[in-house]
Amino acid sequence: MKTIVLLSDARNPVSGRQQLSRLEAQAIGLAAGLCEKPRGLHAGSGEDGVSAGLGHGLAGLDIIDLPATDDPLPALAGFIAKAMGGAGAPELILCGRRGEGGEETGLVPYRLAETLGLPILADAVAIRAGEIAGTLVVDQAMAKGARRRVTIKLPAIVTVHSLAPPPMPFAFGRMRRGEIRHHEPLERLGLPDTAARSDASAEERPHRARPKLMRQSGTASGGPNLHVGPEPDEAARLILDYLEANGIRRYGSS
Amino acid sequence: MTAAAFLPWLVVAMIAVAVVQIARRLFLWRRGKPATVDWLAGLKALPSRYLVDVHHVVDRDRSASKMHVPTAGGLVLASSLLVLGLVPAIAGSRAYWALVALAFLVMSAGVGLEARRRYPRALPRLSLGQWQRFPVLLGLFAGGGLLTSLLAALGNPLPALSFLTLIATATGGLALASTAATGPMRHALAGAAHLVAHPRPDRFGGGRSTGLRPLDLSVETPWSEKRREEPFEEEGPQKLGVETPSDFAWTRLLAFDACVQCGRCEAACPAFAAGQPLSPKHLIADLAAATAGGHVRPYAGQPYPNARETIGAAGLHAPIIAPDGMVHPDTLWSCTTCRACVEECPMMIEHVDAIVDLRRFQTLELGAVPLKAEEPLANFRGCDEPNGRALKERTDFAAGLALPRIADKGEADVLLWLGQAAYDLRGQRTLKALIQTLKSAGVDFAVLGDEERDCGDLARRLGDEATFQRLARANIAALSRYGFKRILTADPHALHVIRNEYPAFGGHYEVIHHTAFLAELVAAKRLAPAPLTGRAVTYHDPCYLGRYQGEVEAPRDLLDALGLERREMARSGKRSMCCGGGGGAPATDIPGDTRIPDIRMGQAMDTGARTVAVACPQCTAMLEGVTGERPEVKDVAELLWEALQAGERTNGPAVRELEPA
Amino acid sequence: MSRLRKDPRAERQERQVAAAGRRPRIDVGHREAKAASGRLRRDPWREWSASLVGESRRKRYDRSQRQMEHGNSARLTRARARDGVEATEISPGQPAVRVIDEPAFLVFAVITAAGGRLSRLDRQLLGAARLLADAGDGGGAAVAITAAFDPVTAKDLARSLGEAGADRVLSVPGDIHPSGTAAALRHHVEAFAPRHMLFAEDGDSADLARRLAVSLNEPLFAGVEHLTPRSAVRALRNGTREVALAPPLLMTLGEDRMKPYESGPCEARPLDIEVGPFGGDPAILSVEIIPGDPASLALSETDFVVSAGNGVSDFAAFGDLAAVLKATPGASRVVCDAGLMPRAAQVGASGTVLAADCYLALGISGAPQHLQGIAGCEHVIAVNTDLHAAMIERAGLAIVQDAQLVMPALVKLLAERQA
Repeated sequence: MKTIVLLSDARNPVSGRQQLSRLEAQAIGLAAGLCEKPRGLHAGSGEDGVSAGLGHGLAGLDIIDLPATDDPLPALAGFIAKAMGGAGAPELILCGRRGEGGEETGLVPYRLAETLGLPILADAVAIRAGEIAGTLVVDQAMAKGARRRVTIKLPAIVTVHSLAPPPMPFAFGRMRRGEIRHHEPLERLGLPDTAARSDASAEERPHRARPKLMRQSGTASGGPNLHVGPEPDEAARLILDYLEANGIRRYGSS
Repeated sequence: MTAAAFLPWLVVAMIAVAVVQIARRLFLWRRGKPATVDWLAGLKALPSRYLVDVHHVVDRDRSASKMHVPTAGGLVLASSLLVLGLVPAIAGSRAYWALVALAFLVMSAGVGLEARRRYPRALPRLSLGQWQRFPVLLGLFAGGGLLTSLLAALGNPLPALSFLTLIATATGGLALASTAATGPMRHALAGAAHLVAHPRPDRFGGGRSTGLRPLDLSVETPWSEKRREEPFEEEGPQKLGVETPSDFAWTRLLAFDACVQCGRCEAACPAFAAGQPLSPKHLIADLAAATAGGHVRPYAGQPYPNARETIGAAGLHAPIIAPDGMVHPDTLWSCTTCRACVEECPMMIEHVDAIVDLRRFQTLELGAVPLKAEEPLANFRGCDEPNGRALKERTDFAAGLALPRIADKGEADVLLWLGQAAYDLRGQRTLKALIQTLKSAGVDFAVLGDEERDCGDLARRLGDEATFQRLARANIAALSRYGFKRILTADPHALHVIRNEYPAFGGHYEVIHHTAFLAELVAAKRLAPAPLTGRAVTYHDPCYLGRYQGEVEAPRDLLDALGLERREMARSGKRSMCCGGGGGAPATDIPGDTRIPDIRMGQAMDTGARTVAVACPQCTAMLEGVTGERPEVKDVAELLWEALQAGERTNGPAVRELEPA
Repeated sequence: MSRLRKDPRAERQERQVAAAGRRPRIDVGHREAKAASGRLRRDPWREWSASLVGESRRKRYDRSQRQMEHGNSARLTRARARDGVEATEISPGQPAVRVIDEPAFLVFAVITAAGGRLSRLDRQLLGAARLLADAGDGGGAAVAITAAFDPVTAKDLARSLGEAGADRVLSVPGDIHPSGTAAALRHHVEAFAPRHMLFAEDGDSADLARRLAVSLNEPLFAGVEHLTPRSAVRALRNGTREVALAPPLLMTLGEDRMKPYESGPCEARPLDIEVGPFGGDPAILSVEIIPGDPASLALSETDFVVSAGNGVSDFAAFGDLAAVLKATPGASRVVCDAGLMPRAAQVGASGTVLAADCYLALGISGAPQHLQGIAGCEHVIAVNTDLHAAMIERAGLAIVQDAQLVMPALVKLLAERQA
């Protein structure tokens, strides 16, 4: 199944150089499991960062040359819409849960889905082709290790969760063999940029680290919780009652 | 007709059989990659390479040289004499046969000495199997030849016996000849050819050649402008590194065949000693076996310690390192690139080059580095520093030392290359001592500051040639902006890389290790250390300083100048043992029975010295990581600074006077 | 803590008789109840007595950051009031419920409340909603929106929602997939026009927020790190830059960024609204929930860890216990060093630092490095023979007994309960 992986303009936090975001590298890993020749798609300027995607398993990379300040969405939507109209249309579009470099709100996949009229699924940790042709089975990450297995009709957009398998290791030789095509942004599709509206009162400034709240334990029940030398059966009962009272687990029929 | 009359023809037959066998081997070697060889120079240098360089190494094990000289000499002499016997006039002379018998006697004596090494029980490092049978065949040939020619010299008194001895001679001789391509005998021709066509001719005649060769990455890179809008080519650029035996240059395939499985490399290998799955001997034997493909005899030496099972499929065009290949990746990643095996090899085989070439394919083409080594390589790509630290933080440790930057000064006598140690608390102590010493000696020095990237040693040894070349070029570009006479560094790895490996990228610098530089300052009386008498130290030679550069004297001179009682470990100088910190081994972290630094620290403790003097931040870190009761680990620079401070306390003004204006 | 704070100025204003150009006159007969200002009156005595522990009545800091259940707090107040001070007289029994009848505006907080219980992040979201609802002149109402609000558990959930600061509760259809929920949410937004809407930057909530943002064509302020009534701040570019603006309509909040609401309970009045059935996404063919298998989960992902230390010798029994408890097995460093459990199971500073809700430590004394690894666990149960072990001190339920004896008893009791 033909797969496109959207790549954003991530930066190394230490050096500030362009690099491939880890989530997108994981997305490439998932794509490579489905598709023999997954291709990357990036709209922006510079290819130093995204070309690493070739080293992580992409067969080719399409770059839409755009100034870094432009909203990439219309160009991406235009490119994908054109590709979907042609032969060998992409069936699956994978992206990280949240791209880097722009507003970093994670809205691009959703806006893309809206523009192209495609269904979207979030937080995939595993994907495989469905039994019926043209379907995809996606395992979505949920709390406490649960997974939601969704079968979806293709084409679709799927975002990848950080719990997905680690990316394929980077190989320079693969990157050297990969092919990069540059494109001019031809068609632009899509909604007006909503981000612009929020910019009016927005103030961008250097980040100030703010501590998170401390996670500390509390003894939930107020009574004396120290039991010295109870019978093992009594101890077991105390433990299970504590677990059930605090909603950790429910055992038995209740 | 006497039995002895057949001996010349036996030799002719042996030569014929051997030629056919060797031709088959030659054909195999030629399927390696082409290599440029200066045949004329190689042939000219062969006698001296063999008689001086090889003999020097062989002679470290006296029993080996005592065995080899008569065996090989006798064999060559007897065979040459016997070829002369094809002339009927000579064959009729009894004196001639006495001469032949003498040659066989010499050879028999040699074979006897060799047999002593193997029977009743072989030295543990030696291989068994066909190598164990080898002296038997040699003995048959030498003993049979001796008796046959002796009988001929005596006028053939026992014709029946002489025919029996002739049969023994023929059996031994033809068996040796028929295994000339696959058996132990192949070392003779392959060894000689290897000496002629050696990939590192500079090694001979006292020179050193230890820098890795750059890999040609210049084939179109994907970001080149030319590739815009061009169709995707199925046939991409050339494969990087070595995947199959045929990816080695043919001279290297030849070298693997030169191996005599003497096991000296194995005995010297720190990874083998620590029970990690690496034996250089086994690896070279595997590479030779892989070249030959199906028709090889199984290996009969000690197995890779704690090795994981491999299927062992081999062939000239089959991957060597693969789940179903000959060698498990753990073997490859156990190497510390300490070159102890290379230093010990009497056949001058370059094990480390082979390992790095194999690693390059794994890293560059497959990305198959061990899990823990992925992070430093990713950090190199992201921010030029293996631990992901910012380059501008490199000088943070020297906040109170007013470290001069070359960008502010424009030029300086000495450029101080800080290296990786500047990020490490322990390494910073050494660097501080060095910087303070330089200041008290009034040396005009400066650092690159945030323009100094990692030298790329770790990346290169882990096989990431692309990253290394990028870092090397960036560093050379930064260095070229400033004027300085010499680069000073406390890190032998950086020293080696800048001195020996940057020239291939256009960076030619005079690089000096801090031990040599400080020894110079002390010799020039620019520093006046007070004697630190009453302390015994043992000096641990860093591989990248001792073996790689051959610099073993300067640090010892410096320690002697400090008045320390210097004790040598069992392995020291160029034959020192590795601390386990090189070649990315701490990053790959292949498990073994014990740890290499523990072994080395054990050797240091055997000397009874209370201090281990070191001269490399890697060695410091590895040896300090040894737990339990152990000697303290001090860099030579720290000991010197201690002595200087002691001197300042006793005769402070004297030091002031020594300071130049 | 319980009673509403008086606002004398407002009361005076209330009673003034309008008379142009003259001094204001007070209508003394005016006794009409006035709408709550929203600010509560503190009850320092109660807070003081609640913070006394043990027989010696020593003061201690309450680091639990948990809203004390009001029943409990009342009980504690009665039980622990200092002699001679009748704390119960000051604020007897049930604290007054804060009621906002006619909210000036609404702040939505979309919470998960998995299993009918509020998570830390749920409480923090409601705390943030409360903060925004009380912003400026106040008078706003915090509305908890949850799919988990089913009639059976409604009472418990409503009470804890009230304690967490919700004035209203609004339910959305418990659709199994966010695409349906998003449509219902949009319906609510159109019906109530909230001033702000808060989501968790996590799981389905994050998905919902983005679906809604696109559907409403509104910008989304994702991953708020710092929130005040005047400004919301979030990080950009790997945490090197940040952007601040007045709190917008749609925001998502990361965990442990906002304090939960800690004052007296709010009303949590359910809002009735017709929500038509929303069809799911036609492209979704089937949905199936696969529960997490605790045994195979990574330690960092699980919610309940049962861990073995030096006091455990029978590891087969320990494995069985972990399986029947539906917990992820972990181990102390000693056990991993000895090779009795895999290295991946090691809990502590050099192993895995847990984010689990509950930690059951069997035979672990609690080395400092180990305790660092469980610093984030809300509930800790310790079984250890040493009364003075650090783990016993750290635990919410501490049992001084041999873990080897307790393990089979637990297995037996679990079998009985499940029968």
